[in-house]
Amino acid sequence: MNTNENSQSVPVAPADQPLVSVRGISKVYPGVVALAEVDIDLRPGEIHGLLGENGAGKSTLINILSGTVSPTAGTIRISGSESTIATPRDAQDLGISTVHQEQSLAPNLTAVENIFLGREIITGRNRLTGVLDEKEMRTRVLELAHEFGLTDHDIRVPVAALGALKQHVVQIIKALAFRTKVLILDEPTSGLADHERHTLFSYMRQLRNKGISLLWVTHRLDELFGLADTITVLRDGRLVATVDPAGQSAESLVRLMVGRSTLAAREDIVDEGRAHGFTGSRDEVVRLESVTRHPLLHEISLSVRRGEILGLAGIAGAGRTETAMVILGADRPDAGSIFLHSKPAVIRSPRDARQKGIAYVPEERKTHAILGDFSIKRNITISDLKRTAAAGLFLRGGQETATAKRFVSDLGVKTSSVQEKIRNLSGGNQQKVVIARCLFTEPDLIIFDEPTQGIDVGAKAEVYRLIYEFVDQGGAAIVISSELPELIRVSDRIAVMREGTIVGELESTGRDEAASETSELGERIISLATRGAVAA
Amino acid sequence: MSSFLNTPSLGYRVEGLLAKPGSGLVALLVLFIIAMTFVAPSFLSFGNWENIANQAVFVLLLALGMTIVLIARGIDLSVGSVMGLSAGVAAFLINQGLIFPLALLAGIGCGLICGLLNALMITKLGLPDFVATLAMLGVARGVLFLWTEGTPFTRYMTPEYRLVGGQVKLGGIITIPIIVAVVLCILVSLMLRKSLIGRHLYAVGGSPDAARLSGISVSAVKTFAYVVSGGCAGLAGVILAGRATNVAPTLGTGYEILAITAAIIGGAALTGGQGRMVGAILGALTITLIANAMNIAGVTSEWQQVVTGIILLLAILLDRITAYFKKRQTSAEIEQSPQQEPTPATAPRRAIS
Amino acid sequence: MSIFQRSSRVLAIDGAAVSIVFLIMCAYFAIASPYFLSPDNIHNTFVESVSAVLLAAGLTFVLISGGIDLSIGSNIGLSAAMTLFASMNGAPTVLALLAGVATGLIFGLVNGAFIAGLGVSDFIVTLATLSVGAGVLQVFSASTQLTGTADSSFLALARGEVAGIPTGVLIAVVILFVLEIALIKTPFGRTIYAVGINPNAAYLAAVSVRRTKFLVFVISGIVAGIGGVLLASHLNSVQPGLGGGYELTAIAGCVVGGVALAGGRGSIWRAALGAFFLSVLSRGLQLIGVDPLWFSIVTGAAIVAAVAFDRGAQKWLQSTLRPVSPVAAAATQNAQ
Repeated sequence: MNTNENSQSVPVAPADQPLVSVRGISKVYPGVVALAEVDIDLRPGEIHGLLGENGAGKSTLINILSGTVSPTAGTIRISGSESTIATPRDAQDLGISTVHQEQSLAPNLTAVENIFLGREIITGRNRLTGVLDEKEMRTRVLELAHEFGLTDHDIRVPVAALGALKQHVVQIIKALAFRTKVLILDEPTSGLADHERHTLFSYMRQLRNKGISLLWVTHRLDELFGLADTITVLRDGRLVATVDPAGQSAESLVRLMVGRSTLAAREDIVDEGRAHGFTGSRDEVVRLESVTRHPLLHEISLSVRRGEILGLAGIAGAGRTETAMVILGADRPDAGSIFLHSKPAVIRSPRDARQKGIAYVPEERKTHAILGDFSIKRNITISDLKRTAAAGLFLRGGQETATAKRFVSDLGVKTSSVQEKIRNLSGGNQQKVVIARCLFTEPDLIIFDEPTQGIDVGAKAEVYRLIYEFVDQGGAAIVISSELPELIRVSDRIAVMREGTIVGELESTGRDEAASETSELGERIISLATRGAVAA
Repeated sequence: MSSFLNTPSLGYRVEGLLAKPGSGLVALLVLFIIAMTFVAPSFLSFGNWENIANQAVFVLLLALGMTIVLIARGIDLSVGSVMGLSAGVAAFLINQGLIFPLALLAGIGCGLICGLLNALMITKLGLPDFVATLAMLGVARGVLFLWTEGTPFTRYMTPEYRLVGGQVKLGGIITIPIIVAVVLCILVSLMLRKSLIGRHLYAVGGSPDAARLSGISVSAVKTFAYVVSGGCAGLAGVILAGRATNVAPTLGTGYEILAITAAIIGGAALTGGQGRMVGAILGALTITLIANAMNIAGVTSEWQQVVTGIILLLAILLDRITAYFKKRQTSAEIEQSPQQEPTPATAPRRAIS
Repeated sequence: MSIFQRSSRVLAIDGAAVSIVFLIMCAYFAIASPYFLSPDNIHNTFVESVSAVLLAAGLTFVLISGGIDLSIGSNIGLSAAMTLFASMNGAPTVLALLAGVATGLIFGLVNGAFIAGLGVSDFIVTLATLSVGAGVLQVFSASTQLTGTADSSFLALARGEVAGIPTGVLIAVVILFVLEIALIKTPFGRTIYAVGINPNAAYLAAVSVRRTKFLVFVISGIVAGIGGVLLASHLNSVQPGLGGGYELTAIAGCVVGGVALAGGRGSIWRAALGAFFLSVLSRGLQLIGVDPLWFSIVTGAAIVAAVAFDRGAQKWLQSTLRPVSPVAAAATQNAQ
């Protein structure tokens, strides 16, 4: 085991030579290009901001650098020499530490134990027996821990008993406690209070002064100014620009991230808009009144009518998917009421939701939507098998195939046969099948959770078309999306969520308005969703 | 004071109460002992306690290994069979004229090898833990049956072996198996609490991902756990051969469930990362006490298996009930602190539970 | 097309590999022992494989849903004891049969309640019920001599013949047929696969995961109960340890037949083929003079070999049948 973490020498590179130099790095998953030929340089003593929307490829880049994902192509040079980062251990040995966004702590171990996990200190004659030097380890982190507001008690109890915020702090200390050349911070300030953020920032400056290179991912643009030396923006897995923050404003950065300015010019999205619109009576389909689910949701009230698309905006963790789970019956509210067609309703499970006319297109397609080993046909009919069964008892293969074929041709799924396994399809086609699965139940309401995540541009337009068609035929839709232009384009109304509550509801200017107005609306949404972090 | 309350994962929450083996189990044991003294006064006699301690050694040794495996988020169903096979190895080699200490070592070695094979099946072939060890259960038992040709190994007993088996007390004071068990308990307890490998066992069981991200080899740690469990089973087998004075092909059958029950009522959890040596000791004592009490009360030994199974089911049931109340308690507390940071979506939580 | 691609196409057919190995094995035994292909031996092999095949078939439901049921071993033993006890005490055949099936049903209900209802780990629950069942059988058979019934209609359940085919085998075939229909042709069967492939996705797609999990254990329990009835009728006596280790044989049968332990893959006929395979192997080994005690070793080894083979075969098939690498596929997609 590695016990000499301090003996690791940090070769000081010439000031202008990058510590880490990434060239043409790509990561391709079957059907999805997560990262395409991205170049990035991390210089010593530099805080390098990494920006991009969800699915822009930030996590993939970080995972490659921290050794949890191996790139499909490209080279990584560290201090000038080409290196392979195959495992997290490799990354650590090369001096790259990462604070991951998801909890990467063992919940049953204490803070100290977690901080030194894999790099425990064994001193003196204990080398032979492998007895840990707990005292030494505690002393070493104590100062850091105190500065981050962890008490002596906090570092002695299992981290599971600490609460989300302190767990996050432990992760940061875990990365700071060791000699690192490169520190990767994946949204390190999410969930931190203001003074804690400032403590962290002062640490980051301190580390920069020591010549450490920091790669910093954040959603909060205000943080970047005055701290970041360079900013790299990714979009759709591609490098958009590497810029000097001095010449940028929050607005120009947002524009780079979401490609707002280019949105109107994106001719490749063949968006016919909604051809006719729904002409029937716009009855209310679902209404939530003061729905609370501790600790995720607080007093959520919203409603959707027939022929209407409600957008849910907000940053990751704002409670959008959690709201969907309550409507779908996958989670039960602690308080508040749900009305379906203006009548109070209790939704017990997704199965119950289906019977009540609600369907859901899940966020994580691979893990929560597709049944990989099933054929397209079976993926469609699984949502309501009794529809293809004779007397509700025996599946009728012929009818099933016919149904699937109808959906495949209606929705334009590109496949040779409905018997093809869904996991062999591209992301966009998989998504269409998942939508077909929802349509098959003939629902009144479909909740689309990040419906275009990780699918190509052409497929995006087709997904929009499917959403429009559904509402034009009298359906109601809730669309959750982190891509603002998409949300503005698709929705009739947009509810903005932040930290489990709805902080505002805006009429969408819609698709026909001028691009400038759309941009203004976008700024307002961003402002609401990030606690006014970006000046409107 | 922190206003942020924990929302630990369900699996972790479940273990809260039982993870403290000091509390509930001890109280239960004391009550049980008091009740038994009324039923049968001989229960409290010194001779009976010695008897219980000597009996508990086998379950204890197996529970020791099982606890380590459970901490690393595994399960070892093969311990009973491996114990029998190791007993067979020792007995056979003594009959073949091998010097006594070497024969004992060979028996323990047999356990270690079985443990290693389990680990290889799990880490290299990717078999689920319980399937791999279930296969080992079948194979080890089969080998012993074949080898003994269905009739027990006998006439290997020597005076030394009587000593090792605990039939004779060392210096008339205490038996060797008890000494071995005590020493091993202390060693394993130190290992779990103080040593590097102990720390890594808890880390791998608590969160394999976190362990991997920290550069720990999860396979190596799991392999260690299974080899130790195999070694413990080997040691128990070698002692059992000395106790039983013959090695029947069925020797050790059903011991795996005793070991698992002991480990689980002692606070180890199938979800990994939980469990302590004290718990395993108390668990093993509980099981042996109940068996002993049933013996004294004149209940036939056939009932023992039924009772053990029911205890295991009750332990699981208690687990869930505790979890339920703890969950309610937590959400009640949360209501008092409105400013909560949203935690990540927990959509599928109810799906698989 | 290369010879490799040709052969991998053959092997890609469901159950092709195990069928080929099965035929080779039969050919070997037929050459090694002339008795192997005699009508007498074939008759006995079929009769004796009934309980293993039924157990494997019931277990298949659980395995496809991604679970495990270890209790079937003591379930079949206890069900056999109960049904024989009923028959010996003068219960009509139908009642005796019901006694056995009800015993199996109780196992299934208890397992299902704990696993689907309380969300406890399936193998720890079924390990506990395995232990309880075996213990109850011990207690029961220690107090009662289960040495046989005189009710000829009960005995005819397994021992009778219709057109030269033993009734036990016929009943088993009918049950296999019903189970296969339930698995392949009904909405319920389809949900079992969905739950095994991805319980999260199935749940969000409006499948009741809990109900499905509960029912697969009930089915496994009932089928083991029926197996017990046929076993009692076949043996006409029940020993205290009856059924011990049968769970291992059933798991081995399923795995050998190609039912995935990880869930989502398998069918009744494949499980039955696997279990039958092992029965024939056991019988063949006896015929060529191998000690029957080898069987539990062979069973354990078969599980490991089958899983290892499955992993290897899956990899090989993917590499040979899909010449287009993911990178190339994505590149072409981008080019469009």
